[in-house]
Amino acid sequence: MKIEVLFPEVANLNGDLSNIDYLKKCLNDDVEIIETSLNDKPAFATQKDINLMYMGSMSEKAQEIVIEKLKPYVDKLDELEFEKKVFLMTGNALEILGKFIENEDESKIRAVGLYHFYAQRDMMHRYSGYYLGKHNDIDIVGFKAQFSKLYGNNDECYFAKTKLGIGINDDTDCEGLQKGNFIGVDLLGPFLIMNPLFTKELLGLMGVKEPKLAFEEEVIAAYNERLDKFKKMAAKQKKKKKR
Amino acid sequence: MENRKTIKFYIALWLAKFSTKILKLLKRNATSFPGDLAIKICPNFLGILEKPKTIIGITGTNGKTTVSNMINDILTENGYDFVNNKYGSNIDRGITTTLINASDMHGRTKKELAVLEIDERSANKVYPYLTPKYLICTNIFRDSLMRNAHTEFIADILTKYIPKETTMIENADDIICSHIAENNKRIFFGIDRLDTDTTYFENITRDIRICPKCHAKLEYDYVRYHHIGKAHCPNCDYKTPDADYLVTNIDFKKLKMTVKCKEKEEDYNLITNNIINIYNILAVIALLKEMGLSHKKINESISKLKIVETRFSEENYKGIRILTHLAKGMNPIACSRAFDYTRKEPGNKAVILILDDLHEDKSGSENTAWQYDTDYEFLNNDLIKQIIVAGPRYLDSNVRLLMAGVPKEKIVYKKNEIEATETLNLNNIDSVFILHDLYSIEETKNIKNKVKELIDEKGNKSNEN
Repeated sequence: MKIEVLFPEVANLNGDLSNIDYLKKCLNDDVEIIETSLNDKPAFATQKDINLMYMGSMSEKAQEIVIEKLKPYVDKLDELEFEKKVFLMTGNALEILGKFIENEDESKIRAVGLYHFYAQRDMMHRYSGYYLGKHNDIDIVGFKAQFSKLYGNNDECYFAKTKLGIGINDDTDCEGLQKGNFIGVDLLGPFLIMNPLFTKELLGLMGVKEPKLAFEEEVIAAYNERLDKFKKMAAKQKKKKKR
Repeated sequence: MENRKTIKFYIALWLAKFSTKILKLLKRNATSFPGDLAIKICPNFLGILEKPKTIIGITGTNGKTTVSNMINDILTENGYDFVNNKYGSNIDRGITTTLINASDMHGRTKKELAVLEIDERSANKVYPYLTPKYLICTNIFRDSLMRNAHTEFIADILTKYIPKETTMIENADDIICSHIAENNKRIFFGIDRLDTDTTYFENITRDIRICPKCHAKLEYDYVRYHHIGKAHCPNCDYKTPDADYLVTNIDFKKLKMTVKCKEKEEDYNLITNNIINIYNILAVIALLKEMGLSHKKINESISKLKIVETRFSEENYKGIRILTHLAKGMNPIACSRAFDYTRKEPGNKAVILILDDLHEDKSGSENTAWQYDTDYEFLNNDLIKQIIVAGPRYLDSNVRLLMAGVPKEKIVYKKNEIEATETLNLNNIDSVFILHDLYSIEETKNIKNKVKELIDEKGNKSNEN
């Protein structure tokens, strides 16, 4: 089993790398972690047996560096998506694969261009919120804290349908993106630890035959408590909207 | 910006002063509302209000309050007459309230000197309106990710808004902090290599790993904690600056340190062996020396200082040390430093953690991502015999401890802090550490009392036997 972590020296905000630590524990350490730094050629470009590529949250300046590093691999990424390879992106990592990122002054940073959507930054207005949504039959819980939001239609390729909080922006309840097994969410931090049911699904996508969770009982207990709380908050939010 | 006193300004000033009186009569807190009201009526109120001639500002992620308190105490001890926001908030409205209190009905200042703790995130709302003569920046670390996002953002807004006339007093050993406002006059303080420094990284979080100029990986001559230490870029001139006030020796046992400045060495007393607070004391020394206070006066005043009890306290109760240590929730560095201190203290320990912001629970669950930037791994230590976690996020904290490798049998997790404390096992325990949040002071007192009760009970039982 191989996991490639892209650019951990910059894509390491918000405890996002704990997702990899958790997968490692779920796999009983029987996994090779390849940490690709900004000066390395990504392993996904040459190695065919990578089970998961992962990229976490980063600063806005880091996004711009990472875009330049990934631009030459846009065709390769396209090919990997077609081959149903698994790529998980959390926080603002997904923005890198879009068309462009727009600053407040309307200047644009051309992004990798794998996808049609784009991001808009608003550095003096940070959005923070709780999230509850449905991915297939799985309830997804999480947190958002971001300067930027994604725009562009993801009705046909969203990751989860939102019940609490917002989708990729204020006007949609479609959160994140899933194309093949390329999955990107705005949710940040210990996403996999907080969503054990999805983690099982992800391990399955990675090729684990009988996925097992580390600390299953404890992780599920924390998940259930949060789910219960967020469901109540979602019900309140729904009531308010009706009024 | 137009800074002429307008009718709007006077109305804002008088209403703010009037509201202060009313709030005081009602025995309510008047540390923020009057300033808030004034700014709402007159948005550039802070710019128009006359300010003391000399303003000393203190900013940075951690240590602002401690440094401000120390400066306040030392200046008071040395007969300075000044205004400060010790009892007020450190954002624009709190600072405005403080300065309104120090002004007359015409908006003229009654003081020549102000010492202001200034929240780093409020840079854009404060510095356009006031110019500190000196601004201490203690350090820059990641903090609440909801509010402060990341260090690049904070460093950028500080650099953008700090007035060019301000003399910066910056932590040299923090390579992010020491590159803020690079065009200003800057004075650096730092601590020379210590025996405890390493050449490897032990912390999860390091807020700068690549050179911001050329993106090469930074190299460290030595690492103290997180990104604190001595670093350089192998590719360009980006590096840790030399300190103007350099601690060349620390005697942790005798609580003394030597500070070298302009080839002259001076000895100072310390009031703590905690490296974080040694940095804080050093920042204070650098400022006061720049202000012209003598070594003798500074050192005499330092000897009389006390760390505020809500931040740190230690008591020996019937042979067992009870320590309380502030570990600000949502602030991974503050918590990691508290965990590091706990693990390095001698003897067998029990640890009680109430790190979640209990007050946050009322408005929903706080983002818990910070837990995974925090070195819970430090609590996975042979001398720590039991870890009790309590508070609204007790289930998340339990998972985090398991992720850190802490054996299940060492952990007790319960929502209610007193019920959790009742499980404290005092057998062979030399110290009980209560690591608590800023907003859990009352709960900390209750836990401490409960710990004392349990020690009493244990004493009674052994007497009976």
